[in-house]
Amino acid sequence: MLSTLIWLPILGAAVISLLPRAIPAINIRLTALTVAGLALLWNIFLFLKFDISNSGMQLQEYLPWNDTLGLSYQLGADGLSILMLILNSLLTWIAIYSSSQQTERPRLFYSLILFVSGGVAGAIAAQNLLLFFLFYELELIPFYLLISIWGGQKRAYAAMKFLIYTAVSGALILATFLGTVWLTGSTSFNYDALSTETLSTALQIILLAGIVLGFGIKIPLIPLHTWLPDAYVEASAPVAILLGGVLAKLGTYGILRFGMALFPQAWSIIAPTLAIWGAVSAIYGALTAIAQKDIKRMVAYSSIGHMGYILLAAAASTSLALIGAITQMVSHGIILAILFHLVGVVEAKVGTRDLDKLNGLMSPIRGLPLISALLVLGGMASAGIPGMVGFIAEFIVFQGSFSVFPIPTLLCVVASGLTAVYFVILLNRTCFGKLDNNLAYYPKVLWSEKIPALVLAVLILFLGIQPTWLVRWSEPTSTAMVAAIPPVEKAVTTQVALNQKT
Amino acid sequence: MDFANLASQLNAGTIVPEGIVIVTLLGVLIVDLILGRTSSRWIGYLAIAGLFASIVALYFEWDNTNPISFGGAFNGDDLSIVFRGIVALSAIVTILMSIRYVEQSGTALAEFIAILLSATLGGMFLSGAGELVMIFISLETLSISSYLLTGYTKRDPRSNEAALKYLLIGASSTAVFLYGASLLYGLSGGETELSAIANGIAISGFGQSLGLVIALVFVVAGIGFKISAAPFHQWTPDVYEGAPTPVIAFLSVGSKAAGFALAIRLLTTAFPLVADEWKFVFTALAVLSMVLGNVVALAQTSMKRMLAYSSIGQAGFVMIGLVAGTQAGYASMVFYLLVYLFMNLCGFTCVILFSLRTGTDQIVEYSGLYQKDPLLTLGLSISLLSLGGIPPLAGFFGKIYLFWAGWQAGEYGLVLLGLVTTVVSIYYYIRVVRMMVVKEPHEMSDVVKNYPEVRWNLPGYRPLQVGLVATLIATSIAGILSNPLFTLANNSIAHTAILQPTTVVTTQVSAMNNE
Repeated sequence: MLSTLIWLPILGAAVISLLPRAIPAINIRLTALTVAGLALLWNIFLFLKFDISNSGMQLQEYLPWNDTLGLSYQLGADGLSILMLILNSLLTWIAIYSSSQQTERPRLFYSLILFVSGGVAGAIAAQNLLLFFLFYELELIPFYLLISIWGGQKRAYAAMKFLIYTAVSGALILATFLGTVWLTGSTSFNYDALSTETLSTALQIILLAGIVLGFGIKIPLIPLHTWLPDAYVEASAPVAILLGGVLAKLGTYGILRFGMALFPQAWSIIAPTLAIWGAVSAIYGALTAIAQKDIKRMVAYSSIGHMGYILLAAAASTSLALIGAITQMVSHGIILAILFHLVGVVEAKVGTRDLDKLNGLMSPIRGLPLISALLVLGGMASAGIPGMVGFIAEFIVFQGSFSVFPIPTLLCVVASGLTAVYFVILLNRTCFGKLDNNLAYYPKVLWSEKIPALVLAVLILFLGIQPTWLVRWSEPTSTAMVAAIPPVEKAVTTQVALNQKT
Repeated sequence: MDFANLASQLNAGTIVPEGIVIVTLLGVLIVDLILGRTSSRWIGYLAIAGLFASIVALYFEWDNTNPISFGGAFNGDDLSIVFRGIVALSAIVTILMSIRYVEQSGTALAEFIAILLSATLGGMFLSGAGELVMIFISLETLSISSYLLTGYTKRDPRSNEAALKYLLIGASSTAVFLYGASLLYGLSGGETELSAIANGIAISGFGQSLGLVIALVFVVAGIGFKISAAPFHQWTPDVYEGAPTPVIAFLSVGSKAAGFALAIRLLTTAFPLVADEWKFVFTALAVLSMVLGNVVALAQTSMKRMLAYSSIGQAGFVMIGLVAGTQAGYASMVFYLLVYLFMNLCGFTCVILFSLRTGTDQIVEYSGLYQKDPLLTLGLSISLLSLGGIPPLAGFFGKIYLFWAGWQAGEYGLVLLGLVTTVVSIYYYIRVVRMMVVKEPHEMSDVVKNYPEVRWNLPGYRPLQVGLVATLIATSIAGILSNPLFTLANNSIAHTAILQPTTVVTTQVSAMNNE
């Protein structure tokens, strides 16, 4: 069941890397697209089979692997992971679709992308800490190669920075996992066999800090974020889609699954810090994005801001906030994918990403009208305009968090407002104004290049109008996850905060 | 003493594997004497067949109920068998590598193989030596053969310099080791057998004396030289750079494995009274080795020198298992050395292939290799990434087991340092991968531009290819299908009598420390 999601892409990657040299790039791309499409279909099938009312693990698989290490091949999905899985499959398909038809060294490119996709699915489905870590580290080298071979000017530097940051994150996570398993006296790394109740609070907080820092690099939270602008900007559009849409989600997924659910007591203690951290991240991301002159860099910083909301919601740990966090993860994945795809198209057609040079793309005949229109839609969705999925997610986050952390929530609302500011700047500089008559002889945008953006735009609008389709998958799971977290600290902070207000 | 009693005391059956190696060694020499250089086409295969027969003989020795032989001078227990297997296997792959390399350097192959086989013999005897004189003799057999191998390409000044340096440092460290051994002999009141030494010292009341600590430090200096642990590592970069590449492949795997076998046996049997002290010493060595090996490797421009520093760092990782001192700790050492065998030999095979085809080993010259030689690129990338601990390769599982065992034994600091230095090591391993894979065709180095056509049917290339593919496959799948190797490593420790009482003691000690 879930194994197919992991092994189908990896098998596809192996087959593609062995294809003969003579096959033209376009056919290799088609093969990769077929494999990714099959994985997506299978994921949709699993999605429909998923029992919404069940809050526990479903679709479980178990194979013994290595008893000495306590490593077993144990998979499963709950309301949190099933959404991440389908996001991964969808974005992989979109990323492959949006790749250029003349990609250099196509066999390596597509096999790496499929490999990454299988690895991410494995990490999300893994129910064994060591198995999770194995799949988590599996992303390291393929992404390094994807950035450093097919990237922009400064790709070598960006890729190395990404590699080192991610490796440090892996080391922190492994250390914490080893610590957790050994200190709780568990003999295996199986997720369901772990219980941290016996640990002292101080120890729990230390371990949780390891988890938060380790995954915080991946999310990324300030000040651990400095790899992100370089990596996102230097990566080509399909790689950026995967980096931002999928890999960043592994970070938040890890915090929810291994931070919040494994250390409920410590979580309630450090939650106020996390809420402030999330709010600061959101504000910082928005303010820095305003200052950027490069549209890709702007979108990259917007990503930092949007991930801040997830941390805030997770810290609040009310049932509603957690649903909001999961929804925000999905919505951010979709919105970031459409934005990076469109930025990639603009760059390919116009030849620049500079805000000072772009102008008047909205012009119906000689500009890129449909692309601009979609860019406006993507920007609005990102800024949280009602009717689109971004608004739904942010609203649930804010509503769920306000009762617990009013001030950080208000800061996040401000950040959300600032998001609108820089997207208006972006849209104003790129889509509106006049075309430069000397330069504006842009190649035509093919229909095949518009399709991914159109699909994503339909999805954004549909889920924005009909949010139940997004929310209902994770409701029982989030309720169950939140139920374990003691409310003591939350009550105290609420009272204090309310007292200050009155 | 009647003959039957003598035969049972000698128990000569335990050294059948070494006997086979000796016969092979003599066979190689005699054949070369009679046939001269014409034999060099197939003499390598004769040696490989002999070593395989030796490994098969080792297989039949497994779980020997009566491992003590030669009145305690040799111990054929499972621990020794697994290490003898590692030494023999590394010699097999080394011979596969060296057939072409030695021919190309214009020197005789048979003598090279003969010296290599005697080094193998020394390493195999060292793995099971249970008596001080026996340890010294096998250690010296290994060392002297290594000096000879290092200076084998005698027209190359660097090879000469490396041999002299190696000999000077090696001889002095052997002398220090010998001084420690003679102290042990004196302190124990005249015992040379390792198991008797511990009792002798306990009875004579030198339990925690200064003399015992000095003996320990001297012995550790000798061992540290063999496993190239910092600060006894200084010979490693120079020897690795100067010596013929197949030789350093053997030195980095076979010789090192023998050194670790000696460390486990000597420290657990002869020094149980000062267990805390030698753990402290090895903690220091591990810290130094991990930091120095991995940090200095960052700045290397030559592939062989980089691999030298990386092997110092890897020795540091293995020492985590030794410091842990539990069954899992020793088993993780054995497992790591097994996978290290595959990945390091795979890496060295690729380095040899590249230098055979281009005549250089500078890292920058590897630029753009993926276009000209995909198999070499794949092999070197996989082996280097495995050394860096990237899943799902063998090295990842090896490191996880080492860290897991270290963490279980409460060595948090060492494990954290190991994790940090692993991150550092990924940087310099990936640098080579970047040269080969990432560089564009127009950034290709001149050497790669003039890269000869890849042909495997030239004399001596086929064994290189076989060795490369075999170690490459092992490196790739030994991690995922690691259960048999784990079972082997765990059993080799669990079935070894000498490790049982000490492990009980050490777990009690660590339990007390935890309280």
